[in-house]
Amino acid sequence: MMKKKRIVAMLTAAAIAVSLTGCGTSASDGTSAASGGGNQGESGTADENTLTVWCWDPAFNIRAIETAGKLYQKDHPDFNLQIIETPWEDVQTKLTTAATSGNLDTLPDILLMQDNAFQKNVISYPDAFLDLSSSGIDFSEFSQAKVAYSTVDGKNYGVPFDNGAVIAAYRTDILEMAGYTIEDFTDITWSEYLEKGRVVLEKTGLPLLTCKGNESDVAAMMLQSAGASFFDENGEPDMADNEALKEVVSTYAELVKAGVMVEVNDWDQYIGSMTNGSVAGTINGCWIMASIQTAEDQAGKWEITNIPRLDNVPGATNYSNNGGSSWAITTNCKNKELAQDFMAETFAGSTELYEEILPATGALTCYLPAADSPVYSEPQKFYNGQSVFTLITDYAAQTPGNHTGVYYYEAKDAIAVAITNVVAGGDPDRELKNAEDTVNFVMGK
Amino acid sequence: MNGKGKRMTLEKRHSLTGWGFLTPAVVLIVVMNFIPMLRALLLSFQAGVGNRMSFAGLYNYIRMFQDAVFLRSLANNFIYLLIQVPIMLVLALVLASLLNHKDLRLKGVFRTAIFLPCATSLVSYAIIFRSLFAVDGFINTVLVRLHILDTGYNFLGHAFSARIVIILALIWRWTGYNMVFYLSGLQNIEYSVYEAAKIDGATPFQSFWKITVPLLKPTILLTAIMSTNGTLQLFDESVNLTNGGPANATITMSHYIYNMSFKYVPNFGYAAAMSYLILFLVAALAFIQMKVGDKRD
Repeated sequence: MMKKKRIVAMLTAAAIAVSLTGCGTSASDGTSAASGGGNQGESGTADENTLTVWCWDPAFNIRAIETAGKLYQKDHPDFNLQIIETPWEDVQTKLTTAATSGNLDTLPDILLMQDNAFQKNVISYPDAFLDLSSSGIDFSEFSQAKVAYSTVDGKNYGVPFDNGAVIAAYRTDILEMAGYTIEDFTDITWSEYLEKGRVVLEKTGLPLLTCKGNESDVAAMMLQSAGASFFDENGEPDMADNEALKEVVSTYAELVKAGVMVEVNDWDQYIGSMTNGSVAGTINGCWIMASIQTAEDQAGKWEITNIPRLDNVPGATNYSNNGGSSWAITTNCKNKELAQDFMAETFAGSTELYEEILPATGALTCYLPAADSPVYSEPQKFYNGQSVFTLITDYAAQTPGNHTGVYYYEAKDAIAVAITNVVAGGDPDRELKNAEDTVNFVMGK
Repeated sequence: MNGKGKRMTLEKRHSLTGWGFLTPAVVLIVVMNFIPMLRALLLSFQAGVGNRMSFAGLYNYIRMFQDAVFLRSLANNFIYLLIQVPIMLVLALVLASLLNHKDLRLKGVFRTAIFLPCATSLVSYAIIFRSLFAVDGFINTVLVRLHILDTGYNFLGHAFSARIVIILALIWRWTGYNMVFYLSGLQNIEYSVYEAAKIDGATPFQSFWKITVPLLKPTILLTAIMSTNGTLQLFDESVNLTNGGPANATITMSHYIYNMSFKYVPNFGYAAAMSYLILFLVAALAFIQMKVGDKRD
């Protein structure tokens, strides 16, 4: 009897463990299932003249593609767009789920993809994306550094959308209290930035810069401004012996230690620090302007300029890139001609589209013919009458290229760990070596 | 003869009815749970990127013990397990016996208040804790106003304090849940037992330790196994509260598995292998707890 009881107990234990783990495992890999569920109406649409699109920012890319849809409707009255707001993380999760399960029919006709994830996704799921090389889209009309993000093995898979040229935006009223103007922050080095930042901090009590901690966006921007990368041209991690990266990490740590840069924990706090006036400036991709501009009470107080350059690295510039995205057409698209023609006539062929979306969204084009449009040189009231878009187009043209590689996100996370440890007092050489080992490990070496 | 035959049919019919009721649930569990688990097991023996997988034997299982980040996440899980689970269970037990007191008024209100955190969404409570502990958040504002701190402390930016915040969050979220189990267990203990103990001169602490705890043992065992299981699979808090940071100090195994599958270059074979390690750990720990906790024979 007792023996039987014990067996029953053991079986129950095993059953509990198995069933609960079952739930949990499916919950961990199954975040996809949760967010990827409810696929009704999201799949490539049956209606011949309707295209389904996934993109994520109502103030930015959603608005842009809506405008494109309206323009295209003028010549094609039957045309319809069905836009489904999908945060980038969800786009990635749903894409992964669809491609690995072989259910490509859950994908939309068109989706917007982060440039940094483009190579990874096309190489992992070559069947999911339409090769656009012979689609009639003229890729030579885009800036080539940008097209390179979405080119795999010489084939074009993406139509470039927005540019991530980095700007430094400052609150001129705060700089003034410390006795500076925007010119004092133009064409400077990071050591000058640090020195002036100390003065600003002392006189106003405000840091010059906030950034999201536990992330390496700022470091990645600094690194690319000198034309350096986390990877070498063969896609091998290049961190431990990367002089530019070493200087980036030590500069970053100094900025944090001096209090000139403050790390916050999440995106809301980061945006909040700018809009509620607890920081004197910011450095990020020019898409950040859409968020800065939400603080309407600060209109006329912001101005933009280029970013500081690294002090001792050969080839250091005051220009960099962060973010940016491109449109991809999936193989699930039922009406591929329509999708390609839509792209060719709007994002890859309409100066009018870019003229319309620019002032509203700040979506800076990579479509070169549009950059000559007079809209670009219009002074912007929010930025104290600066012709910001001419400036940014100029920054974009001077930005050095870099090698993102397939393992870009792994590298960024590994560097974020290294930076956090260096800021906390770790040895930079050892931390960078660890980061390189981590990435090498993930790459299976 | 005839009668015997009829009884057989009746038995058969009963058993058929039984199976009829069971079938839908069995089919669902097999299709939704066991088949995916089996597929995941097969997947864990494959290696490769995205859809291009090939058989690799035990490669993934050997690999995870060389993976510094995974070992870090494993250690984090055990830190949470060893610190948070005991605190939470003791707290739940104490609260349950306080709230079970027969003279206590407004029992319902207190019980609801303590159970309420369980009804909140995992994501929203994690986000609320994140903003509470922000540099300019509520906790820091209070500490600065009380002159305990000069400036806000970045709780989530330091490894030690970030872990404490996660543990606090977990205690807040799950104590009430375990308390409900204890409360229902306490309903089965006759009040006369306590009265008898009182007459014999037992202090409240003695009657708690000598009566409540032993009689609740099966329930305590159940909650211990469930909490162990839940803690080893911790995901939402790591993702939403700290995003695994600073420097992977709070990342959990499930969070790393998620990154491996969806954030990084997808490596599902490796992710499945790590999931199976969690399964193994949960099963092993549950078995040990059963052995230690259940001494009925």
